This record gives sequence, structure tokens and C-alpha cells, in this order.
Amino acid sequence: MFVLVLNFFLFRVLPGDPARAGVHDPRLKKDSIEAIRVRFGLDKPVINCFETLNPIKLGSCDINPLDTQFFIYLKNLVTGELGISYHTNRPVATVLAERLWNTVLLIGAGQILSITVGAFFGVFAAWKARTAIDYGALATSLVVWSLPTFWLGIILLFWGSANGLPIGGKATPGMSSAPLMQQWGDIARHMILPTVTYTIVYMGEYMLIMRSSLMDVLSEDYILTAKAKGLGVFQILRDHALKNAMLPLVTIIAINLGFTVAGAIQIETVFSWPGLGGAIFEAVNRRDFPVLQGAFLLIAVTVIVANLIADLTYSYLDPRVHTE
Amino acid sequence: MEKLTQKDNLPSSTQFSEFWRKFKKNRMGLVGLVMLAAITFVAVFAPLIAPHRSSSILNVGVSDIYKAPSAQHIFGTDDAGADVFTNFIYGARVSLTVGFFAAFISIVIGGVLGIVAGFFGGRVENILMRFTDIMLVIPDLPLMVVIVALTKPSLLNIIFVIGLLGWTTTARMVRSQTLAVKSRKFVLRARAIGSSQFHIIRRHIFPLVTPILVVQAVLVVSLAVLNESTLSFLGLGDPTVLSWGQMLNYAFGRGAMSTGAWWALVVPGFGIVWVVLGLTLLGQGLEQVLNPRLDTHHLMPGRPNVKSTSVALSRNETQPASGKSLLEVQNLSVNYVTEGQLSARAVESVSFTLKEGELIGLVGESGCGKTTLMLALLQLLPSAGQIVNGQVLFGGRDLTTLSDDEMNTVRWSEISIVFQGAMNALNPVRSVGDQIAEAIKKHLTGFPSDKISTRVVELLDLVGIAADHKDHFPHQYSGGMRQRAMIAMALACNPQIIIADEPTTALDVMIQAQILELLNSLRTKLGLAIIFVTHDLGVVAEMCDRVLVMYGGVTAEYADVDIIYNEAKHPYTQELLKAFPDLTRPKKKLSSIPGYPPRLDALPAGCRFAPRCPVVFERCHQEQPSLHQMDGNRHIASCHLLEASK
Amino acid sequence: MNKERLLEVRGLKKYFEAGRPALFSRDIRKVHAVDGVDFQLRHSEVIALVGESGCGKSTLALLLMGLEDPTAGTVTFEGRDITHLNDNERKDLRRKIQMIFQDPYESLNPTQTIEEIVNEPLLVHGIAKDKRERDERVKKAMEDSGLKPAEVYLNRFPHELSGGQRQRVVIAAALVLEPEILLADEPVSMLDVSIRAEIINLLAELRITRQIAVIFITHDLGSVGFFADRVAVMYLGRIVEIGTMLEVLEKPQHPYTKALISVIPVPNPRLRRKRIILQGETPNPIDLPTGCRFHPRCPVAISACKINDPSFVSRSNSHQTACLLLVK
Repeated sequence: MFVLVLNFFLFRVLPGDPARAGVHDPRLKKDSIEAIRVRFGLDKPVINCFETLNPIKLGSCDINPLDTQFFIYLKNLVTGELGISYHTNRPVATVLAERLWNTVLLIGAGQILSITVGAFFGVFAAWKARTAIDYGALATSLVVWSLPTFWLGIILLFWGSANGLPIGGKATPGMSSAPLMQQWGDIARHMILPTVTYTIVYMGEYMLIMRSSLMDVLSEDYILTAKAKGLGVFQILRDHALKNAMLPLVTIIAINLGFTVAGAIQIETVFSWPGLGGAIFEAVNRRDFPVLQGAFLLIAVTVIVANLIADLTYSYLDPRVHTE
Repeated sequence: MEKLTQKDNLPSSTQFSEFWRKFKKNRMGLVGLVMLAAITFVAVFAPLIAPHRSSSILNVGVSDIYKAPSAQHIFGTDDAGADVFTNFIYGARVSLTVGFFAAFISIVIGGVLGIVAGFFGGRVENILMRFTDIMLVIPDLPLMVVIVALTKPSLLNIIFVIGLLGWTTTARMVRSQTLAVKSRKFVLRARAIGSSQFHIIRRHIFPLVTPILVVQAVLVVSLAVLNESTLSFLGLGDPTVLSWGQMLNYAFGRGAMSTGAWWALVVPGFGIVWVVLGLTLLGQGLEQVLNPRLDTHHLMPGRPNVKSTSVALSRNETQPASGKSLLEVQNLSVNYVTEGQLSARAVESVSFTLKEGELIGLVGESGCGKTTLMLALLQLLPSAGQIVNGQVLFGGRDLTTLSDDEMNTVRWSEISIVFQGAMNALNPVRSVGDQIAEAIKKHLTGFPSDKISTRVVELLDLVGIAADHKDHFPHQYSGGMRQRAMIAMALACNPQIIIADEPTTALDVMIQAQILELLNSLRTKLGLAIIFVTHDLGVVAEMCDRVLVMYGGVTAEYADVDIIYNEAKHPYTQELLKAFPDLTRPKKKLSSIPGYPPRLDALPAGCRFAPRCPVVFERCHQEQPSLHQMDGNRHIASCHLLEASK
Repeated sequence: MNKERLLEVRGLKKYFEAGRPALFSRDIRKVHAVDGVDFQLRHSEVIALVGESGCGKSTLALLLMGLEDPTAGTVTFEGRDITHLNDNERKDLRRKIQMIFQDPYESLNPTQTIEEIVNEPLLVHGIAKDKRERDERVKKAMEDSGLKPAEVYLNRFPHELSGGQRQRVVIAAALVLEPEILLADEPVSMLDVSIRAEIINLLAELRITRQIAVIFITHDLGSVGFFADRVAVMYLGRIVEIGTMLEVLEKPQHPYTKALISVIPVPNPRLRRKRIILQGETPNPIDLPTGCRFHPRCPVAISACKINDPSFVSRSNSHQTACLLLVK
């Protein structure tokens, strides 16, 4: 709830008149600007009462609270409407919806791969702690952690273009008439480079977390108990260590979802991937506030939901939480 | 009064030199520091190092654009014909400036909020942390993009935006560290002295939060550098300064890809990676030095046992007249080796025999090697531990020669162990019944699987735990119940021997009495042989048949319990008894042993008890006494005085 | 005002809130941590407060130190109630009552030198403005605590000292304020057996040389030895028996005390005695048993114990026990 309110005001406080910036044409007559304002509901005061809170456009208390931008924003939210893009004049929800799935595809594939690869090497590094395997994995993860996402993207782009991989976009133009299987194959080929970039950038962190978490678990007394019970190494790892070591990872994955949007912006820019990150970036340049507002709301809600899922997973994994 | 050793008179090291000494050994941290020092040097002395003047866009012809690396332009030229290497050097200035100033803002905000929230708690904490959570939910890079795009793109703005949005992680970490420090006893003691809250924060909280803050600062700088370059790459940088991100933006946007001018793309990126990697390494190094964590664990492979002497050893004990001997430990020695060097001789030449149904007490103070000895019996030593001599004879085999797989058939099914502090010895995420069943499934292979549950209930009943607690988790048990559950687990596979390693330490006296009673009754009921490790002489007197007193890794005295308490020959045993309160003898004045037990990594040269011994003489400081046998080998003590009296 | 009595505790209670039994329940459950404690402490007297975990002894210590506010009752120190003081008065009081904690590894700030630790109370209270006088006092407190010569220890850090030495530093930091009462919360239970006696002997010495009264809190009566003058046995937030050390140890009246004493291990294998082992564990202090709060575990309870809460019965001037069986 708080996020909704904050999200709304954030874009009112920022400088730059949306109506002006959104249209980018100084020659427009004053009355046409006014018409645009009416069209997007910007003629109405932001909210009633708080008159002292200028510079945002605020109305006095006499104004009907139901006739303010804030109330309309809330009302629209309830009905699932996110407003209309200043730039394309299309409903924000539609604009975002088509972009969203592309990003979900990219982030989803990237997350799954980076978690799998990272966790696998993390487990391996912790198990073989202080051996060449461990040091190698540690060095690798620190290096990939230090790579700027966009730069890695550029380098891979270089390499990819030399090796005949598609370097931009989501599909080869003209593919839409091809059979479905071929279309999917084409998308998959386009996804290779962005997904690899994503995976490399994020797997380092997952590896580090998995390693240190498993190291902690493996030095616990109950592992010694398990060893004294005569259990084999694999049995101990599987039955006594992995579940316990997963706990911190679950939390990090949820928190990370918010941060991965940052990665998405960069990757989508480099690879011209038509996703949400790209949409945000374009919307910024065009001062397209409804789109931005909608995108932020979407991200915030996603992160909150992800945290909720993480909490549930956590309490499922850890009896200390669910039996209290 | 405690005697002062030579070491006590050495001047004490200051904290910083201590830190530096440790840091010098940390390769990761040093590499990071050198990398950073190099790039900082480049940034500071940019005008001296750069081969061309900065922004040398003079005399640009079409042919100067994207020129490949040559002698004149070692990294080629960019889209404007400028020298990439020169721009690279000046770019370092921008990245480092933004990084340090933005991080400074973040660290100050995060540090203050974290400490305030953690220390004052209550409503203040609630509000601050809710605020932090909201900041975390809103993804920061998009937000930065928006704010930077909508404000004037100047370096100062970028610094502020990155700084003002980058504090959340710091605040959270500082808060949790503050909470941890606040709950420590010295803060309570400071309050008891009468210190004001400001004083406590300044003198007690802040110094202990600093290590976290330092590590965090380094990481925040690296994030700020990354964020700056990303913003610049997205075209949101200050157009008047040329940062690495800006260089990449121009190159990427103006055809470096299509012209194949890899140098214009690789070089600036390399700078970013260099700085961020340097900071990351430094951060990791600092973390390892300032907040050291264990880097060993129980699954690391142990060192192979190496024995210097041959197996043909003279037996220290004749076979006792009654009772079959079950476990015979002969001249067992364990060393700890760290970084290839012998760091401690934790156990040296310890021998004892455990007969069927016997209860032997192993007594000693902290760090005398008693737990090491027990772990060595089951080949469970940590990876630094190594058996260097001796045998553990059980069932006709020498356990020290068995492989890990062979040992796994002995562990728990023949010899099981009850650890101290059962809270940590039980896996918190599995139910108690499940953990008991696991042992049965592992060792009693023919056991019908539908009967396992009944067997678990039986075992729990045996130790006095009701059946309905079977599916509960360890945290739902009280301390005493956990220890009972641990005992039930130890009994699961009908072992012949149970090792009880300080099973009642940290329990209340009444719970202790319950556990001791339980062990005693199980012993008679099941005919168990028990090795009971403890520091409590009273418990030993009440429970044991024979007693092995250890001091500094060696046997001080080994005899029947009655002899130990009434005719002790070793001065340590005698002094220890005098120091132990006896409620049946109100007249007895307690005496203490001066000094403190030796650390196993700094053992005295001669007899290990010599520095504290009341009857010490010259020879004790030079020569370690051998074991003297008395009373037909029923009584063994290691003291030079016994030889003199012979 | 009675010169004899240094500290008088009367009807002291501390309840903590433990949340609601159900989400919308009206009443809030209470933890009866300390539930009506009375005792007196005389000048330079040593009293041992004995009880198992959950009996409220640690909460009692915090109440006496003014680190927690009591729910009810009074603590009178030198004729003045000290339970409701303002910050300044409380700060003054801190000079008179000092505390020693169980774990000497935890109760010293690892980043301070020993000198800073012992000097800190003087700075906090603004005592001895002159540096030389401060140094003098620090040195005396340290040497009185057995850290001789003090110079050797001044610039060291806690991790460079042994457990016994650290506990001495804690004692020195308390002595430097010249307190009249030392509250020792399990001061030896974390120490090695061979070191324990010297800390106890040190405390015994201080009461003679400095006339300090000591409140010695422990779960193990055995560890006190015969150092205390009087013993108060606590169970579930109350004192159930109080008397001189010899009275309590040799003629315990309360069934709980009897059991507690019988299970203290005696370091003499020829004296393996019959122990009275109570079953179960101390019930949680949220739902207190009716009547005598010990009756569910009492081996000799009669039906009246379930209904009547016993009050103290005196066996002698100094020896009182709260048990219905003693009422004649």
C-alpha cells in the first residue's frame, strides 16, 4: 500500500512538466498543451488539502477529493488500469504486458541457469574447501561479479557476431509466418547471448553465498554427529547439509529479483531485446510517466510477491519458523 | 596469584599493527590493494602519464577515427579520433571520484541509520527499517536512471543520486551487527557502570561495528563505480566529463561494433573491471581479516595417519583379571598441523583399556586434549588433526588403520558418541524421530522398515521421552530432553560402547542428575561400556569405575576411582581435588592452582604441569616424566617424584 | 534506618509480557519471572542466591542493578527506595552497586585495553579528574583484584588474557568505583575448575579488606562452597528457603532444597549417597501451578499443597522455609 502511494508521488515531485516533456514540441500553442493536460487528467490537482506541499500542483481542501489525480490513480489501480502512455497513446497495461513476457522469459531463464550453475559450484567449492577447485571457483566468481553487465554483453556480442549468432532483437524479421517450432527455435537462438550474459553476471554471487552458507553448515556440530553415525559423505551432504544451506540462498534470490531489473535494462539495451527494461529506458527519455509509473509498480509488486514466496519457502524449509 | 611468564612482559601490540600483520598474509586483500593503488596512482598523476593531452580532438580527420592500435596510439583512437589510452587514464579520475564520494554518502547514511535503528530499537527501529525495506523494494538502477534523466546530468548529481540510493544494504548490515553487539554482556556491563547511551554507542557499539562498515564501504565503492559506468553507458552521464562508461557509450553508439574497433570497447571496460575487481578482492580480504570465519569443516578429508614407530609396542597394562577388555588404546598420539606445520601436540602417548560394562572417566580441564582423544578413537578428527602414533584396538582390529568406509561400519553400530550441548548436535531442520530412524536404517540393514517407527518410540521411551514427541523438532525440546534424545539416538543400533563427551555440561544440576541417573540405569540394563568425559570431579566420583586424568595432552594419572580420590600420586590430581568444593566437608578451605592450563600450541619444555606445580624441581623443567606403574599396573602416574621415591 | 541492613528487598515482582494466547484474546499472558521476593543484605555479608534456570535469579539481579524496572515491590538501599530513581540518582547508585557477569569472554569489550576498561567507570562518573589520581585508583583496583603488577596488564587486550585474568579485570573495573555491594552472576561457572577457587577466594578477601557485601548468584550450590554466609534457594520466582549456609546445607527443610543438595556431586567415591532426583523440569513461569508452586514435582506433596500457597515458617531466627508440611 505504501509503495503505491510513494510510487505516485515520486513521479509528481520530479521536475519537468510531463505534458511539455511528453510532447516535445515547443511550438505547441498554450491551449493545445491545456488540451493535452485534460486528456491525461493533469489539469486536476494532485491531491486535496496539502497546499503547503508545493511545488507539486496541489489543491485546497475545498476541492472534491474524488476529483484529484491521486484518487483517480487509486481508482484506476483497483480496476487494473494503469493509465495511458503519453507517447503512444496506448494503455500502459497493454504496452507493458507485451514487454513483460519478454523480460520474464529472459530473467526466468537467466535466473534458473545462474542459480543452478552458481549453487552447483558453490556446493562443490565448499565441499572441496581449500583445494584448487575451491580457489578456482572463488576466483572465477569474484571476477564475474566484477564484470559490468553491459560490458560483458558487448564483449559477447562481439564474439557472437563473429560466430554467426543473432546479435539483436527477439526474432529474425519475417519469421512470424514460419511454423511455430521454427519461430521458437529462432527465439531461442536470439536468447542465447542475453541469457549467457545474465547467467555469468549473477552466478558469481550465488556461488559465493552457497559456498559460505554450506561452509557454515558443514562446520556445525550436527554434521559431526552425522559423521559419527557412520553416514557417507554424499548422504551427509544430501540429508543434513543442503536443506540447511539453502535457507540464505532463498532470501537472496527474492531480494535479488529487484536488482535483476537493473541487469535487464542493461542487457536489453545492448541486445535490443524488447523487454521491460528497455521500456523503462525509453520511457525515461520520452518522459512517459504513466509507463514509468506502471513499470515501477509492476516491479515493486513482483519484488513484494517474491519476498512473500521466499518467506513461505523459508518457513517450509525451516521448522523453527513454521512450528513456532 | 598468577605467575607471570616471560611472554607477559612483552610490549603489547597495538590493534592496527595486529590488523596489518594479519592483512599482510591475506593474498586476496593484498592483490586488491595493489590493483587499487596502481589505478589511483594513474588517476592522480594522469597528466604526467598520459601520452596525449586529454580531449585532443584537434586536427581530426576521417582517417583518425577508430585507428587501430599503433606505436603512437597504443590502444588506438576512438570515434572522435582521440587517443583511447589517454581517455582511459583520465576516465580513472571520474570513476574513482564518483565511487568514493558516492560511497561516502551511502556509508554515512547507512551507518547512522543502522546504528540508530539497532541501538534504540522499538518504534524508531520499526520506522527506519520499514523505510529501508521500501527502498529495497524499489529497484535502484531504474530509479537512478529516472532521477538522473530528469535532473541535470552533472557529475555532482550522479554522485548524489548514487550515494542517496546506495545505503540500504549498509543500513541493514550495520543494524544487525549493532543488534548483535548490543546483546553482548559488555554492553550490559557498561550500562551497569552507569554509562550514558551516547557513551555506549561511541565506545562500545561503534568500534565493533567499524569492521563491518569498512568492508561494506569497500563494496559500496565498487557498486558506485559500476552504477556510474552503467548510467554513463546508458547516455545519462555528464557530457562534459569523459568517464569509462561514457567512452563505452560513445563507442557502442557510434559504430565501434560495425567497424570492428574492439579497442574502443575493450579498454574502458577493462578499466571498470580492474577497479571493481580490485575493490572486490580488497573487500573480501578485509572481510577475512576483520570478521574471520572458520574455513574448515567436518567433511574436509582428514590427514592420513602416519605412525613413526612400529606397531610392536610393549603393552602398558597386563590383562586385568576379571572382565574382557573391549577397547584398548595404546600410546595414542595426535598432532594438529596447520599450513604444513606442527601447531599442537594435542594428545601424546595416552593408553587405557575399557572393559565390558565398565565406566571409565576421562577428567581434564579445557584444552587438555580430552575431546581430541575421543574424536581420534572414532577417526573423526578435524582435517588438521593427525594420528601420529599408537593403536586403537577394538574387536581384533586396529581402528587407526581402517579406511573411512570400514570405519563407517564401526561408527554408531559398535561405538556411538553423545556430544556436549545437544542443541547443536541435532540437525535443526529434521525431526528427532527421523534422525534416530536414520541411524537404524543405516546400520541395521535387515531391520523391517515398518518396525522402525515402533523401535524409535521404544528408544525414546527408554530415555523417558513420551512417544508424541517423536515428530517434534530439536528446538521444541528443552535442553535436558535434547540430551536424552541424543542418548536415545546413541542407543539406536545397540552399540557396545558409548562415548559421552561432557553430556551434562551447561545443564542445571537437577537435569544433570537426571541424565547421570539415566546413563547409570542404561548401563546396568544394557551392559554398556561408557567412556565419560568431564571436567567435574564430583560427577566422576559418583559414576566411574576407573579414572584417567589428563593434563596438557598427556596422562597425568590413571587408576581406580578410589585410588584417584584417596591415594593420588600426581601433584596435579592432588591439587585439583583441593580446588574442588566438597559440601560434605565444611571446614575444608579451597585452594587454587596458580597459573592456568597450558595451551596445546605452547607447551612447556619438560613436564607440562611444571609451571604450576607446588613441588616442582629442576628436572621437571627439562624432561617430560614417563609413566610410572604402581600396584601391579592398576595405577599409573607420570611424575619425576615417583621415580625419585623408588 | 537500620545500620545493619544495607539492602532490603520487599515484595519484589517482575512480570514480562509474553504475547496473547490467541490472536484476538483479551488478556495478555505474563511471565512471572520474579514473583514476590523478600530478603535483606547486611554490611560485608555474602549471600548466595541459588536456583535452576528459570527460577528468576538473573532477572532479580537486573532488578537490583536497576537495569529493569520492577512490576511491584521495593528495594531499599541505605534507607532509600531505589526502584524509582531518575537518571542522575540511578547513576549515583551505580557507584555503590556493581556487577560481575558469568562469561568473562563476553563481558569485556575486545577493542579496549585493560587500562581503558578499568578506567572507564571513573570517566563515566567524572571521578578523580586528575589523571595521576585516576591512574592510582586504577592500579590499586587491579592489584586488589590480583592483577599484580598492574603495569604488565595495562596495555593488553582482553584476548591476550586467560579466563581467570579476565574475570579479575571485570572485578577490578567494579572495584575502581569502590562499591558497597558486588552482584556476582555465576562468576565462576565458565572457568576451569582449577581457577574457580581463586576467584571465590578473591571475593572472600574483598569482603574483609574492602567490607564489600556480595550477592552470589548461581545454579550450582556446590560451586559456592562454604564461602557464603547465607543461602537463599529460589524456585519459580520466589525464595522457598533462606538461612545461614550451615543451616541450609546441613538441615535443609524444604523438599526442593533437600533434593537440590542431594544431587550435588560429592568428590568422594566412598560417599555415593542416595539422591533425590526430581522428575521433569521447572514448569514455565507463565502458567504457575496453583497452591504451592513446587507441588507438581514435590516428592512429599499432600493434597493441601495444591490449594494453599505456603508462607514462611521459621526454624530459627535466621532460617525460614515456605512449606506446608512444616506448619504444625
